[in-house]
Order: sequence, then C-alpha cells, then structure tokens
Amino acid sequence: MASPDAPLRWKHLYKVLTKAGPFSDEDWVPGQETITSLESSKLLVIGAGGLGCEILKNLALSGFKDIHVIDMDTIDISNLNRQFLFRQADIGKPKAEVAAAFVERRVKGVKITPYVGKIQDKDEDYYMQFKIIVCGLDSIEARRWINSTLIGMVDFEDPESLKPLIDGGTEGFKGQARVILPTLSSCIECQLDMHAPRPAVPLCTIATIPRQPQHCIEWAHQIAWQEQRKDDTFDSDDMDHIGWIYSAALERAKQFNIPGITFQMTQGVVKNIIPAIASTNAVIAAATTSEALKIATSCNPYLENYMMYAGEEGVYTYTFEAEKKPDCPVCGNLARNLTVDSNMTLEAFIETLGERPEAQLKKPSMRTEEKTLYQRFPPQLEEQTRHNLKLKLKELIADGQEIAVSDPAYTIDFRFRLAFQ
Amino acid sequence: MTEAFPSALVGPSSKERKYDRQLRLWAASGQQSLEDSRVLLVNSDGPWSKQNTGVSGVVGVETLKNLVLPGIGGFTIVDPAVVTEPDLGVNFFLEEESLGKSRAEETCRLLRELNPDVEGSFQTKPITELLRDPEFLPQHKLVLISGPVKRSTLETLRKAAKSLGIPVLYTRSVGFYSIFSLQLAAVFPIVETHPDPESTQDLRLLNPWPELAAAGASISNLDSLDGHQHGHVPYILLLLHHLEQWKETHDGNVPSNYKEKTEFREMVRSSARTSNPEGGEENYDEAVAAVLKSLNPFSLRSSIREIFEMEECTRLTPDSPDFWVIAAAVREFYQRHNVLPLPGSLPDMKAQSADYVSLQNIYKSKARKDVEEVTELVRSIEAQLGSRVAQVSDKDVEIFCKNAAHIKVIHGRGIPQVNGDAHSLKALRNHLSNPESLIPIFLAFEILDDIVTDIQDGKRPEEVLDDEAVWEAGIDRIIGVLTSDEPSAVDEAARERIRKAARELRRTQGGELHNISALSGGLVAQEALKVITRQYGPLDNTCIFDGVRSGSEMYKL
Amino acid sequence: MKQQQQQAENAEGAAGKKKKKVTAAQLRVQRDLQELTLGSTMKMTFPNPDDILTFTLTIEPDEGMYKGGAFHFSFVVNQNFPHDPPKVKCTQKIYHPNIDLEGNVCLNILREDWKPVLNLNAVIVGMQFLFLEPNASDPLNKEAADDLRLNREAFKRNVRTSMGGGSVRGVAYERVMR
Repeated sequence: MASPDAPLRWKHLYKVLTKAGPFSDEDWVPGQETITSLESSKLLVIGAGGLGCEILKNLALSGFKDIHVIDMDTIDISNLNRQFLFRQADIGKPKAEVAAAFVERRVKGVKITPYVGKIQDKDEDYYMQFKIIVCGLDSIEARRWINSTLIGMVDFEDPESLKPLIDGGTEGFKGQARVILPTLSSCIECQLDMHAPRPAVPLCTIATIPRQPQHCIEWAHQIAWQEQRKDDTFDSDDMDHIGWIYSAALERAKQFNIPGITFQMTQGVVKNIIPAIASTNAVIAAATTSEALKIATSCNPYLENYMMYAGEEGVYTYTFEAEKKPDCPVCGNLARNLTVDSNMTLEAFIETLGERPEAQLKKPSMRTEEKTLYQRFPPQLEEQTRHNLKLKLKELIADGQEIAVSDPAYTIDFRFRLAFQ
Repeated sequence: MTEAFPSALVGPSSKERKYDRQLRLWAASGQQSLEDSRVLLVNSDGPWSKQNTGVSGVVGVETLKNLVLPGIGGFTIVDPAVVTEPDLGVNFFLEEESLGKSRAEETCRLLRELNPDVEGSFQTKPITELLRDPEFLPQHKLVLISGPVKRSTLETLRKAAKSLGIPVLYTRSVGFYSIFSLQLAAVFPIVETHPDPESTQDLRLLNPWPELAAAGASISNLDSLDGHQHGHVPYILLLLHHLEQWKETHDGNVPSNYKEKTEFREMVRSSARTSNPEGGEENYDEAVAAVLKSLNPFSLRSSIREIFEMEECTRLTPDSPDFWVIAAAVREFYQRHNVLPLPGSLPDMKAQSADYVSLQNIYKSKARKDVEEVTELVRSIEAQLGSRVAQVSDKDVEIFCKNAAHIKVIHGRGIPQVNGDAHSLKALRNHLSNPESLIPIFLAFEILDDIVTDIQDGKRPEEVLDDEAVWEAGIDRIIGVLTSDEPSAVDEAARERIRKAARELRRTQGGELHNISALSGGLVAQEALKVITRQYGPLDNTCIFDGVRSGSEMYKL
Repeated sequence: MKQQQQQAENAEGAAGKKKKKVTAAQLRVQRDLQELTLGSTMKMTFPNPDDILTFTLTIEPDEGMYKGGAFHFSFVVNQNFPHDPPKVKCTQKIYHPNIDLEGNVCLNILREDWKPVLNLNAVIVGMQFLFLEPNASDPLNKEAADDLRLNREAFKRNVRTSMGGGSVRGVAYERVMR
C-alpha cells in the first residue's frame, strides 16, 4: 500500500507520529503502530465544494489512505474562484468524482471513493464503516441530519460506533470549525442558535410598500413569478429565469423610484448567495483536517470543541467549549433499548410505558420514521391512528426499529429501540 | 438616473460569474487592484545541508494558490531548491514527475493551471543574487518570504522592500506551529475599512441640516393623520418632530444625558397609538429603539483626529499621496462645519415607499453636496501644491467622504526580532508572564532562526535541529536578552513554557505539516488580499497559530 | 452487472428503512401537535396520517366579518423545522387584506419574526386572529385593504359577496361558505 520510499516521503509527518511532544497524552505510544492506524483509518468527507476540495487535499497529505467523499452537486463557473480541483472544462461534471480523481492522481497511494448523491441516501451501515466524518457543508439541514444520524448510531457497548464529527463552515472572511463527539459533547443541534436565521422582510412590505432594491427583487421572485409564470418551475440556476426576475424587479423599482438594482444583486437575493473566498476555506478546512489527524493518531490533543475565526480585522480566533444542552432534542435523551413481545398490541405496549419507573408516560404520542403509531391530538389525527392501538407491534414496527415518544408531562421526548423477544 | 435604471438587460460577463462570490466582498475596485498586482514569493534561501533542502515552502505555495484563484495579476517564485521525496509528502503543487526538477519551476507550472488569467514565472537563482538587478524587486507589489531564512538574507530583503515601500509577509510553519509578520510602510492608509453597517449610521438628528429639519417640521399635523398614515411616518421624522416638542419645554435644548434620553424615549413611546388591532405601531417601536443609539451629538473619533493631526495631513507636499490631499480637504471641511461629510445612507424603516424614497433623497443630496464641497477643497489644495502627477479623481473623493468616519492609518512596523530594544523587550516580558500567551512560540521560532542561520553559515551541522543542549543554550541566550535591562523578570514557569514550545517545535526538526501550512497559507493570503486591495483591516503586525491548542493570537511586536 | 448493482442498492434501501430514525423535525411536530389548543373553530386534516409534516388547517370563524366561512390552509413543514418556519398557503381564492390571490399569507411569525422557540400553536393562533381582525395597514391585497380602511361597511359587504362566490372589483372569488 505505502510506497517503498514512505519513510522518506512522509518524513515530517512520521516525526510527529513516532515521537511524543510536550503536549501529547502521557499514555500515548508513538511509533509504527500509530502510523499503521492512521493509514488504515477510513474517513468520510461530506461535501466536495469550497471546503471539501481543501479537506480532500489536506487529508491525503496527512497520510490518510482511504477516503470517501459525498456530494450531489455539479461544478458551476462560480466555483472556480476557490474550488481549486476544478477547471473550466469540468463545468457541469459531478464535484465528488472530479475532486476524487484529481487528488488520487496528485497524491500517490491514496484511494478516494466518490459518491454522487445525497447524504440521506445512505444508511447507518454505510456511516458505520468510517472512523471520522469531516463535514464541509453550506446547509444547516444536512448538518442536522448527519448529526442526528451519528448520535443515533452510538451504542455504548461498542466504542467503535462513536464517530467523531468534525464540522467546518465559512461565510466571507469568517468561519468556524468544531469537533463533535456524538452523545459525549455539545452537538450541532445544541448549537443551533449559533446559526443566525436568514433575515426576512415582511411579505406585505414586499407586496405593497417596497423601499429597497431587495424588496423589488423579492417581489419579482415571490409574487410576480407565481402570478405570471405559474406553470414554470423557477430554477435559480437558469440565467433566463434570473434575467426575468431582474427585469421584473427593475420594472417595479422604476414604478416606485427605487434605484440600485443590479443583476448581481438579483442573483444574490434570489439564491441567497453567501460570499466565499479561497483563503477562508483554506483556513477552516485545514482547521478541521488538523483535528482529524490529531483524533486519528493522538499525536496532540484535539480541539474541545469550537474555534471561530474572523479575518476582516487582522486575524481573530476564539476557541471555547460549547456546552451540551441537557434538553437537546437530539442528544438530550438517547434511544434506550426495550425488549418487547412482538405479539403485544400497541395499546398494551402504551400501558407498559405508563408503568415504567424512570418515566411514567401516561399520555404518549409516538411514531417511527415512516409511520404515525398513535397521536393523541389533534382529534382528526387521533381518529386516523386509533385503529393502530389494536394492532400487534410486529404489524407496525420492525425488530430493532426506533420509536419516538412525546408526552405532555415531560418537556423532552423519548426514544426507544424496540427489540422483539 | 440612467445609471440607476439600465435600459438594456446586460447579464454578467463570464469573468464576473467566475469571481462572483468574492466580488461581493471587495467589489470591482478591489478586484482591479488584485489584477494589477504581482506578488513575489521567496520560497527558500538555499539548502540547510547536503541532506536537507531546507524549507519546503508549503505556506508560500498555499498562499499563492489562494491568490491565484481569485485572480492576482501575476507571481514570481524564487526558489533554488530541487524537488526531493519529502517535498511530495507535504506540497500538493508537485507531482511524482517533479522529483529532481527545479521546485520553483514545478510549483509555478502547477499553480498556473489553477487560473489561466494569472501570469506566473520562476527564478532558480538565490534571492540575494536577484536583488542585484535593480529592476527585479520593483515589479512586485508584495513580497512573501518562507522562513526560517538566514538572518542576513531576511535583513537584505526586508530593507530593500522597505525602501521601495513594498509590504513584506514573513512566514514560518514548523510542526504544529506557525507564525507570520506583516511589514507595512511606515504610513499605510485604508479608506474602505468595511465597518459593521450598524456602526456607520450617521443620521444627524440632533443637528439636522435645513432640508432635514424641514422634513421633520412637515409632520406637525401628526395628530390629524389617519391610522394608516400615522403608522407609516418614518421614525426619523417622528424623532425630529418629538425633538422639537421636547425643545419647546427644555429651553431649546435637546435631551443630552441618559436620564433625559430615557424621559424623551417615554415621551415618544406614549405618542404611539395603541387602540388599533395590533395594539401599537411599528414605526414608533423603531423610533423608541433608536433613541439611545441615534440621539448623540456628532463627535470626531479620536483615531480620525489623530489622522488629521499627522504631519502627512498638515504638511502636504506636491508628492503627497492622494489619500492625504483628500484627508486634508476633509479636515478643512470638519473645521468649517464641525462634522464630517455625511455618508448619506439611510437604514430601512417602516414607511410608505414614496416617503422613504424622498427621505432617502434628502440624505443623498446632502451627501452629494458635502462631496462637492470637499472636491472643491481638494481642487484648491491641488492648485496651491502646484504640479502634481495627476488630479485626484472625483470617485476617490466620493469614496473617501462616504468612509470618512472609519478611515484608518496603520503605522507599519518591521519584522520583529528579539534584540536589545527596551520597548519591545518590555512588551515581550509582559506577554510572557501570561500563561495563556502564545509568545513562547514566537521565542522558540526566534531560536530556530538562529540555529538555521548557523547551519546555513556552516557553523553547525544539521543534526543540531533536535539537539537538547543547543536549544537550551538558545533559550538561555534569548532569556538573557529579555532580562538584559531587568534581571529576574522571567520566572521559571515562563522558562518552562518556552522550553515546551521549543520541544514541540523540535519534534519535526524544522519540517512542515501540511495542515498547519495550509491553514497558515489561508491566513497569510487573507492578509495579502487586504494589503493589495487596501480594504478591510490588515494585521498589525504578528500572528501566531498554535495547532496544538487550535487557536491564534495577534501581537504588536 | 448493472442489474445486480440495482438489486444490491434496493436491498440496501430496505435495510436503511428499518434503521431510519425519527427526525428532529418530525419529533418536534409530534410534540407541537400534541400541545395544540384548537377550539371549535379549527380543524386539521392529514391526507396521509403517517406524514405529520403535511396537513391542512381549516378555520371556521364563529364571529367577525368572516363568520360562516370555512378557510383552508395548507401547511408544509420541512426537515429544517423549527429552524425554518412552516410554509403556509391559503388554498382558496379569498378576499382578505392580508392574503393575496395566490394564497400567500402575511403573518409576521411566518417570516421575519419566526423563531425556533415558537410552535405550531402560535402560528395557528396568529392565523385565527387574521380573520377576527384583518389588518389594513400592511396588506397583501391592496384593494381589500383600501376598502377596509376607507369604507368598513362596504368592505363587510365585499367580504360577504366574495365568500358567497361572487365578484369584487372584477375579481371572481371562491365560494367558501360552510
């Protein structure tokens, strides 16, 4: 696997892996074993965009040999100012494939397996194969999904089931890197209020009293399109569509004497464009991969657990420990295993929940991912799910499946993994 | 008006599309500065020994990557080294076929692939030799040096750049640590500092100019307005109106202290109509929220006053840069009116479209008038100064006026060294006494520079890079300098912190780790962009990154 | 070869289904639904009871100008709830100052004032309020708002006409009487 010259090629890296430093853990044993463990660690990179390209390069040059990458996007011209693995000729091709092939070609001995698609396409068995997951995403929703998936995978009997999640994000000159040890440290959901919601303008302002060029653009996008082009699905990547919005917005602005609309601004408002530059991505991506190397090898202590960065005014970083929220809906109450008789009716099962000593769930509503098992309120839904009460558990739930239970008596929710006797 | 409402719908050019995400940060003017600049990267200063080619220069190459992608005009790589096996383990811009070839040539070739708009060249001669050609250095707008380099080389290069007014970034990345310093010209002005829009609001409610005061007076019939109209009076006008009311009962004075302002706020709050379905009015909510924030008399920030008092501003010469000519004119404007030119922007607020637009026009035309006055002052200063190379552009005057309250002048410093200078010794000792400070890392790098200088000069063998005794001697020497004017100022705990930083630094014997160099290349590029575009706020002057503890600090050294 | 791969993927999909977790958004909606106070004027219908993120709210005001009508709103909650607000639209063409002819609803907590601590009950209460106290000062349907502001009686008549399926100012409205 490693080239014959590995010790020479990886000279600098091997030094920190074969020699303890003043800050490395006292119990850590540096040496060949650490190198082997690094080289056999399988890593997953989520996102092959601005951060992802950098992350792949950094991991390959950190000695990782088996890297997977997921991204559903294709390459756009506006990526080329920072996504350095892509060229003009690659426009339209899938990011994951082009990025993987480039890094494999450049760094000998690394295997990079791309998957073009959504993270939601993959299940726990897939995520279970990785040692660490590094995220370079721009979507909060995707972050929340992988976060709760990894937390749900934790089995306290099996330390291998705990997959450190290293997450990076950038906006203009700012960014952050964080390390999440699912169930042990503050998770993405605990930190959700650190993501400011997108500022919105009242719909009525847009509809009747626009004052800013952005209001006119929002009007064209949210109101005029619906009225006038009902049958066309709006596509923010279609230049003709953006052009239509631009001219409709200009027309409206003229009517209200509002100056300042540009094509660039139209695109920015409609696509919610966040400024992005190569240098910020480089900083944040390398911050995440440096943590990946430290976690995989123990050669130095890893980040606990959040580093924020701002580069507008000099170089500013702030490293702190974000707190775990006891009432976090994702990591606050983990799934417990519950062994049940699969022939028991749902109604009887609900009764047993009311008798549990640690949490007497007297009026629970409950569901699996795909099925509403029983919902007490509103009445219409109660009626629609009432017949489930008479059904046997095996008719509603698969062995090992997770259910989530809410009860008005408790401010947090419960999850149970039901194993059939 | 033709400018505001383009008649033909022209979409963005392919260049604008490619650079779209960055143009939103530094605009076309910043991009132009970038494209007009050539950067020099001095990526090594020759080998450290027969076995060791010296600095791998990954920070330098990664920095260039981050400048080539956004479209810097061009770059020159100076590097006498030949590509060796360890280079391939840290440097992404080399490939198997590069082994044994010129590192300058290979990195140049692979960096150029990133952006066809960028011109790149390389030199395999050592920098000291290249500097003999007086034409060489002045082609560049910025110099990046990958250290550690021999002290004498650094000094030569630093001085040459300084005499030409070219900024220098000196970087070092070893193991989990990195450090870089920015040497700027003694006076480095920035107009477009991009302050937080919240902090730039200048509404002049306490000293309205006649047109604004008239707008305030136009709503004296406030009570007779119907609910809809009443709920849509822009809060600026509400405040002006209620201020006049206040003045009537306060001897013509405006609310001036916290107590009066809270009283005034209550007065505003109680004027809102609450007998509507919403139980209140948004415009009044906005007015109430703005009282403490916006009702402040204009006062010149001390940093701007200092700029006005600088000799560059008070004693213009025919060679004075445009910045100082405009600054002098704005200073005169300030002396005349006791305020700076109005920036002219108006925050969004609850209002009918037409009312908002007309209020906005009052602010805009005042701003335009102020720009005209400053422009006249500039022209008369230019006339007094006599022959200048070119006239100050109208656009520059306008941008200056818009940013006048937030301009910045950095007093450039040299690349820091631990020498006998009492002032810097005291600063270093102060930092060193703080157990959280990253200054021990700086000191460890200084020791490393000395050791590398000795190796390059042939005074010591390469093996001393990890020689306990040599490092201990280095620590003794540096503490000796630190305590030269104040013995016992460095305690044992501080010495131990330096020792630990040195041990961490010794771990790779001068070698780079890709992650740390890539991260540093991002930080250094960020500074380069700010210096070249003259926007935002460049580092003043040293940044240390600690990859063990995952954080950085800035120091003025 | 390709077929084999397809089969493998299908098998993987089935296994994945079993292990899928209740999402944070589903869990939050389950809780929010349980904590609703609906009263007699509101009904909810779930076209697919297993999908609690998609439902219809029917408001049947028993007082005010819109008394006697039955107004349907589609709710779509995405997986980013409660970070994102629910998307609400009126499925009928109605004459109301704060609802436009496309069904867009102007309610502050559905947009600029949404916060993750707000729940579905807050939204539903806000919707109900729109029918008790239509707001003329910041409208989506400007004509309706002008009517309300300038001639409340005429506005009332227009509401009745529109609810009966008649036309107001040349716009034909849907019949929404209970």
